[in-house]
Amino acid sequence: QFLLADRFHLKSTAAEPWPENATLYQPLMDDQILLSDHASSLSVQAYLRMCGLPIQVVCRYNAEYMSPSGKIPFIHVGNQVVSELGPVVQFTKAKGHSLSDSLDDVQRAEMKAYMELVYNMLLTSELFVQWCDDATAGEISRPRYSSPYSWPLGNILAYQKQWEVRRKMNAIGWGGKTLEQVQVYEDVNQCCQALSQRLGTQPYFFNKQATELDALVFGHLFTILTTRLTSTELAERVKSYSNLLSFCRRIEQTYFEDKKLMKD
Amino acid sequence: MAAAMELRCWGGDWGLPSVHTDSLVVLAYAKFSGAKLSVSPVDWTWKTLTASVPELVCGDTVVQEPTQILNFLRKQRFNADYELTARQGADTMAYIALLEEKLRPALLHTFWVDAENYSNLTRPWFASRSPFPLNFFIPSRLANVALTRILVTRGEGLLHRISEVEGKIYSDAKECLNLLSYRLGTADYFFDNSPTSLDAFAFGFLAPLHKADLASSPLQSHLRQLDNLTRFCDNILAAHFSPDKPRKIAARSGLLPPVQETMDANLQKLTQLVNKESNLIEKMDDNLRSSPQHKPHRTEPKPSLSSSKNSTPA
Repeated sequence: QFLLADRFHLKSTAAEPWPENATLYQPLMDDQILLSDHASSLSVQAYLRMCGLPIQVVCRYNAEYMSPSGKIPFIHVGNQVVSELGPVVQFTKAKGHSLSDSLDDVQRAEMKAYMELVYNMLLTSELFVQWCDDATAGEISRPRYSSPYSWPLGNILAYQKQWEVRRKMNAIGWGGKTLEQVQVYEDVNQCCQALSQRLGTQPYFFNKQATELDALVFGHLFTILTTRLTSTELAERVKSYSNLLSFCRRIEQTYFEDKKLMKD
Repeated sequence: MAAAMELRCWGGDWGLPSVHTDSLVVLAYAKFSGAKLSVSPVDWTWKTLTASVPELVCGDTVVQEPTQILNFLRKQRFNADYELTARQGADTMAYIALLEEKLRPALLHTFWVDAENYSNLTRPWFASRSPFPLNFFIPSRLANVALTRILVTRGEGLLHRISEVEGKIYSDAKECLNLLSYRLGTADYFFDNSPTSLDAFAFGFLAPLHKADLASSPLQSHLRQLDNLTRFCDNILAAHFSPDKPRKIAARSGLLPPVQETMDANLQKLTQLVNKESNLIEKMDDNLRSSPQHKPHRTEPKPSLSSSKNSTPA
């Protein structure tokens, strides 16, 4: 009996068209959201715009806690809640919208590999710079993260988040690094170099057509370029690749012309 | 030439020069690039506790971690990637990231967290290779490290429980194996006809899974179905690690060249299997997360009993 209702539920998910009131939740734009979260949120927004699916962006200070997996952003569509780019791509695919259908198997393998490269190097570096560098953590990340809450709750939550991220960095072997050891910026540089070489002179990573990889890369690079941190080293690394800069500009102009993306 | 280089790593078994993934990566790369390394296994020494494995010692410099060691070797002019184009170099980085993110958690789980494999294979092996009294706590320490790594990188939220992420990491790993298989195709190596660092990494990840005598492993059986990957491992072992003179790869005529169509059919079948699995996992996740307020609008099919009751004449 349980399974029968289950199958029905899944079928009804696929059958329902994309509603007009689909919403994307993220933390508060001006005061609270951090670099890595903003990058992820922008990736999902870019992807949905590329699919031509309407989405409203709503800012809530407790977005992280509302999310089913604890990660930003998440979308609320009909009566389903889906978080993070990977599951969102699968969800839209179940509804019949997909950007990577025309790729063959080898290309799809490449696309997934490059997406993992972005997660592995860019996202990890962003998290490291935000939370493991004492200067950045103290001046920017902790104050922003705790801004919606009153003292001492904000402090507790910020330190808890910092502890969690540092634990993760330790687990993957980045624990003892400091920014001065340069390894982090070198990793960002290598990642951008790989992306730049893969992109070449094409408009998108898979020539004429935008895919989820383009959305992901745009989200991260644009956020790095437009976010003010304690030092501009991160942005400088990205700026040295001109085809990546024009890629970001092109996507912004094509898919985001109606929206003010720059965050103060 | 540079001073003699010494590599400290775990010893070998099951037909492999080393059973440890990272050590295998370095050993394979050294063979591919022609670097002469003197291998000193840390088995039965106190280095099992103190050293981070693998470790390259060259004169005064000590380098750890496979990526760093490979960089160091490249700087010493042992470069197996010399002939790659810039684009292929970028692809290398991407595929290595794919292996690290998708395959490593499942490998760690198979060897260190899965109860049967751990107690039957991994712990006895590592305990027998550690000196007394370290053999009592080295394996469990490594197992803890593995479990923490899986939970911290793949766990969601503060309630880290291994059972919740198990399904997901295995389906990700199977998908990763499928993608590797697609990329390799019928070639001997990933790029052209000479092995590169990507081949070293792939070999390091795949060979232990292929050769170990695991009691229960869905991942291993999945790998065994991907002929081109198992052939890839065997080729490298035969060509670079066999005790007698390395045979040329061209003498492949002994093996039946795989027919492209059957391979594609196999891959299609496996891809469908992986997709079905991930759908199942999603359904389970959805059920766990569906909020009580938002009951899906189910038009319950009226049980046939009542309809038959209605149809019976009063």
